[in-house]
Amino acid sequence: MDFRFSDDQLTLAEGVRDYLAGTHGPEVLRRLDEQGNRDPAIWQGLVDMGLTGLCVPEAQGGLGVGLPEAALIAAECGRACLAEPLVDTAFVGVPWLVAQGKLDGLEDVVAGTRRVPVAHAINPWEADGAGAALTSVDPLRNLTAAGQTSDDPHLLNLGALMSAAQLVGLADAMLHQAVEYAKIRTQFGQPVGAFQGLKHQLASCSVAIEFAKPVVWRAAQAMQDRLDSAPVHVSHAKVAASDAAMLTAETAIQVHGAMGYTYEVDLHFWMKRSWALCGAWGDRAYHLKRVDDAVLGGTLPIGPEHTFA
Amino acid sequence: MKLGFSAAEEEFRAECADWLQGQMAGEFKDIKGITTLTAKAERRKEWEQQLAAHKWSCIGWPEKWGGRNATLAQQVIFAEEYARAGVPGRVNHIGIELAGPTILAFGTEEQKQRFLPGIAAGQTIFCQGFSEPGAGSDLASVRTKGRLENGEWVVNGQKIWTSLAHISDWIFVVTRTEEGSKGPKGLSFLMMDVKQPGIEIRGIKQINGDAEFNETFFTDARCPEDSMIGAVGQGWQIAMGLLAFERGVSTLGQQMAFRNELDEIIAAAKANGQAKNPLIRQRIAKAEIGLRLMRYGALRMLSNTDHSKIDGAALTYKIQWATWRRGLGELAMDVLGQAGELAHGSEYEWDVLPNLFLFSRSDTIYGGTNQIQRNLIAERGLGMPREPRGDL
Ligand SMILES: Cc1cc2nc3c(=O)[nH]c(=O)nc-3n(C[C@H](O)[C@H](O)[C@H](O)COP(=O)(O)OP(=O)(O)OC[C@H]3O[C@@H](n4cnc5c(N)ncnc54)[C@H](O)[C@@H]3O)c2cc1C
Repeated sequence: MDFRFSDDQLTLAEGVRDYLAGTHGPEVLRRLDEQGNRDPAIWQGLVDMGLTGLCVPEAQGGLGVGLPEAALIAAECGRACLAEPLVDTAFVGVPWLVAQGKLDGLEDVVAGTRRVPVAHAINPWEADGAGAALTSVDPLRNLTAAGQTSDDPHLLNLGALMSAAQLVGLADAMLHQAVEYAKIRTQFGQPVGAFQGLKHQLASCSVAIEFAKPVVWRAAQAMQDRLDSAPVHVSHAKVAASDAAMLTAETAIQVHGAMGYTYEVDLHFWMKRSWALCGAWGDRAYHLKRVDDAVLGGTLPIGPEHTFA
Repeated sequence: MKLGFSAAEEEFRAECADWLQGQMAGEFKDIKGITTLTAKAERRKEWEQQLAAHKWSCIGWPEKWGGRNATLAQQVIFAEEYARAGVPGRVNHIGIELAGPTILAFGTEEQKQRFLPGIAAGQTIFCQGFSEPGAGSDLASVRTKGRLENGEWVVNGQKIWTSLAHISDWIFVVTRTEEGSKGPKGLSFLMMDVKQPGIEIRGIKQINGDAEFNETFFTDARCPEDSMIGAVGQGWQIAMGLLAFERGVSTLGQQMAFRNELDEIIAAAKANGQAKNPLIRQRIAKAEIGLRLMRYGALRMLSNTDHSKIDGAALTYKIQWATWRRGLGELAMDVLGQAGELAHGSEYEWDVLPNLFLFSRSDTIYGGTNQIQRNLIAERGLGMPREPRGDL
């Protein structure tokens, strides 16, 4: 048993983090928001990093990595509040096609010229599709009505897993913004972060996020291993990550005071993405029900004769 | 203990309801149900005047100044019927609930004559110039300066988060009039005409896209010497008196507006099937409990004829309602679930429930943050030792 990522996996994630930190800061989000949300150069940069091909099998020119690594990268996309639908195409769509043995044309995904639509009956819309435009609560998501939807539970689980992964990254970033603000904003002659009333709240966010992460990684591995219990792990991950992200969003706004309520402070981009993803791919109620059905309905083996990894 | 409103109060309620509902079905139909603070501002100014024309604009004030001498219970009844009729928030809330009572409590007879009729008539819209970039929770660190020059106060500095300044006529400003003073000492409370060359207003966009609050810049802005409420150096005391109005009794009537919001959520849950979900049912039940808790708390406070006791109890009220409503926003989103991701592009940019979610993020911040409220409850209410603070 080794509940750790390898050095290679971590190096990959760090590379993506550094790249996005360097090229995709808040000023980019603001520019996109003012200028129609998309800039082909951003997508091209992701393609050049090899990210569209991350989950594409090596035979089709990709890197052929598994879902845990993809989840790790999805978290980085959340941290950067990446608006391009990379996660949808590359970490949800591609693994879904691969699971069905539909390998044709994946080379084009690697090359960045093909997007994989991932519309599920549970949220019958897709990002950057060809259908009629819909308005998301997230100003940077270009949602469109989906022509065709699938009701494949595997697709739903992949979508939920990758949303959970993005949510922990989003939460990390919001916590970071709040902590940094609490260090520089002074009131009553000291940084507001010195007041226990704030410090303790931020510490609680940190606890929620740090405990959500292993749940997400556990779910990714369960999906990778195609465990029967994988859907329950995914639901657990989605709920834990949603709770951590919403708690952190709420706290981060509070820590910023009135600043946190403005469009001019970057925080709201992260907050609205979190909000959108909490509802996507099965909302809280949906996933809690899957967990309680499993726990009380007997699909999850529990009791003294079982361990519970 | 005798519960329920008196027959006379019920009669008053019927009168309020009758008039307000008539207006919302008639001449002012076009503003019914607006939930943002800035939409249709001009029409809402006309609405203020309509209220005044029928003596409903400031019922709690003395009759002499255009009010009805209404009891607290009547004021609450009016606020409740106001919300129940779907009337949008008052654009002159600050004039009626904050500036007016402050002038009544601390102003001279001459100042009352100068300001109160305009406020009562819905002609003078007021905004609140307290917060500054460096003075939020720590209001006493205000730096905007006022100096006396040829019988006029000349003001320089900056305020921020000034709600509705862009549609206001007057602003009350906490200024530092004693050079070199620090903290609550040396502050004064001035009434200033917003529409003068020395005052510049820039809107600040909020997370819901609305620009209700503003930055307000003062560059040699002026007002006559006798526009000061209270004496020179008494500004802090006046400001605290005003904040007690803001956090206290002026909000006791808002449960009816909350009732409307909770009902909206219940309707949404019934429509989309979430009302069958036991988890959502329990949270709705808890929200109902929270609402009633505020309701009974408010009714109990109202029964207290000693207003200073009310202010003490009201100390706990702000955090209670603000936290409840922030949670209500989250409940609304959990009821909507995935549908909450889509904005349907209502006339006012956001649909009612998503806007509730966004707006309720600020409830725990304005008028004293939750942290500041807790400090007040602990330090002033419970007499606990003060948390160490830095040097001012
Ligand atoms: C929608 C809205 C409308 C407003 N309208 C007006 C208006 O019309 N006029 C006006 O003058 N102001 C207005 N305000 C400003 C409001 O009064 C301030 O936002 C509020 O007082 C907090 O100040 P701040 O935003 O500077 O936050 P800060 O004081 O910078 O606080 C930042 C964080 O530090 C915490 N903190 C600060 N001190 C302590 C402490 N001692 N212990 C523990 N935690 C602490 C706060 O709780 C908060 O979480 C408005 C604000 C909002 C959001």
